[in-house]
Amino acid sequence: MARMKFICDAERCIECNGCTTACKNEHEVPWGVNRRRLVTLNDGVPGERSISVACMHCTDAPCMAVCPVDCFYRTDDEIVLHDKDLCIGCGYCFYACPFGAPQYPQAGAFGLRGKMDKCTFCAGGPEENFSVEEFRKYGRNRIAEGKLPACAEMCSTKALLAGDSAVIARIYKVRVTTRGKGEELWGWKVAYGGSDKVSDNLQPVGKA
Amino acid sequence: MKTILVATLAAGLLAACHEIPQDAPKPYAGKEDVKPYAGDLFKGDKQKFEQALAQRAQSQDEYLHIGDENAPKQ
Repeated sequence: MARMKFICDAERCIECNGCTTACKNEHEVPWGVNRRRLVTLNDGVPGERSISVACMHCTDAPCMAVCPVDCFYRTDDEIVLHDKDLCIGCGYCFYACPFGAPQYPQAGAFGLRGKMDKCTFCAGGPEENFSVEEFRKYGRNRIAEGKLPACAEMCSTKALLAGDSAVIARIYKVRVTTRGKGEELWGWKVAYGGSDKVSDNLQPVGKA
Repeated sequence: MKTILVATLAAGLLAACHEIPQDAPKPYAGKEDVKPYAGDLFKGDKQKFEQALAQRAQSQDEYLHIGDENAPKQ
């Protein structure tokens, strides 16, 4: 099976927020919850860089390790998902996540937290595919439609790539060799271990 | 006698110097998820599903999009 990952190309991201808007729209994400967001470093300074951040679907996911009710699971495609029926909204995963991916809707007065919500790689959750329940809890299931996450497919500069790690690493490598810079795969070392250089992450397609 | 006492004490003290593994895989306690290729679209054909995703991923390569003959070879 494929190993699904995201790559955000900091050399290309123009901070247009197309990815965040696509995500919000695709899944009808409630107000106050941001499954994907943009982070700009050195904003306003020449040479600023923007990164589109969401759940990276880590290899050794810290959220999975700390969850007291064990509501996380990994699909065959290595996508990290969770069962909202089981989640108690404790917030441990938020503290554990190096990317700040888990989000909590406000569920009442005095900052009462609802169940955790995060990027699903557009793969829905543990409900029947394309069901109303799945959409209500987790959003649209584009993966079951044979499509990639809406954020990456929406990206106008193709800064955000999503899909099988072997395929997207190859696309990225061609880019890097063409432009001659920006080999770093943002967040890969933290999420998947090993190296964050694209040349060290190239594997034959289908073997990742 | 003294040696036995020291050895027992050392063994007793060192017994606390171990770490309980905290990264042991925990079983998932929630509902079973349906495979993404199980629906009407792919009818359980995993290969067709993988092909569709791979094709989609490849289409993110704009060098292929524009059909540039001088594009770098992969």
